[in-house]
Amino acid sequence: MKLVQILMIVIASFMIVACSNKISYGDATSVETTTMGFGSTDLQSIAAKLVDDLIAFPPIVQMTAARRPVVFVDKVKNKTTEHIDTESITDTIQTKLLQSGKFRFVDMTAVKAVQEQMQFQMDSGMVDPGKAAAFGKQTGAEFMLYGNMSSIVKRNSDAKDVYYKFTLKLVNLESGIMEWAGEKEIRKSGEKSFF
Amino acid sequence: MKNINLYNVVWKPLFIVGVSMSLLACAVNETATVVVDGNQSTQIIETNSGVLADSLSISNTKIGYAGDLLKVQATITNDSNDDVDFRYKFKWLDKDGFEIAIDGRPWTPMLITPYESKSVQGVAPNPSANSFKILLQN
Repeated sequence: MKLVQILMIVIASFMIVACSNKISYGDATSVETTTMGFGSTDLQSIAAKLVDDLIAFPPIVQMTAARRPVVFVDKVKNKTTEHIDTESITDTIQTKLLQSGKFRFVDMTAVKAVQEQMQFQMDSGMVDPGKAAAFGKQTGAEFMLYGNMSSIVKRNSDAKDVYYKFTLKLVNLESGIMEWAGEKEIRKSGEKSFF
Repeated sequence: MKNINLYNVVWKPLFIVGVSMSLLACAVNETATVVVDGNQSTQIIETNSGVLADSLSISNTKIGYAGDLLKVQATITNDSNDDVDFRYKFKWLDKDGFEIAIDGRPWTPMLITPYESKSVQGVAPNPSANSFKILLQN
């Protein structure tokens, strides 16, 4: 009986030690299921699926075979009830598309900073006029990338189901024609557990 | 007043919970790898445990090109009587075997019901990729 009690005390001690604060680095691409909310796995899987779809779409393959079209990324409307940083999703998509070597981008988030730098080069008197970046030489975007994100949430006393739908579209700015659209759906279900 | 048996009320449940937690902590991660080089359909399946190899099989690996980008598809089949919940990931390699866009692809969760087959597809992140691996992990 005493031996059993000692064994149990040892196990209890291990459990208490296991509860102490421990910090470690993990795999950023691993599946994260901490909560039912939108997470890193959702962001990464949306970006991977939509980039694959876009760069493998036959008319886009044909269009990007000999040139790298210039694209402008607009905002993605968040129609879900959660706060989701949709710019982070489009940033990842933009980075992957750029690294594919198939597209180039104009960065509208940096327009003000670029304008200030060019103004400095032109007006400060500190920059060699022959080497200053000239106004009116920038390339205009040929396409716009934009989209929507929506969700359907259902729950009862025991379970919760979340469905996300992310839609991305590529439109030709001059003709207004939508050249490509892609969707990624995600379903997450959770049940209440006593443990 | 009735005497409370400390062993039955406190220590016994604690012992059972402790043993259960120890067993859960022993869950293993396994990886199966399929490698396809160029236009050859050579497949090398690597696994560090029999659990995944017994339940899942990778077959019908296809490769093609979307322009100059390598495009791949593989069929994953659940050969067991139970649902298999696992995750998969593509890795892309250039002609010299260097991995391209490390951490560029996430682990993607997938559930396959008994004897069901599902196809997974991927497109290389850039034209320098000429071989790939599919990693499976439970």
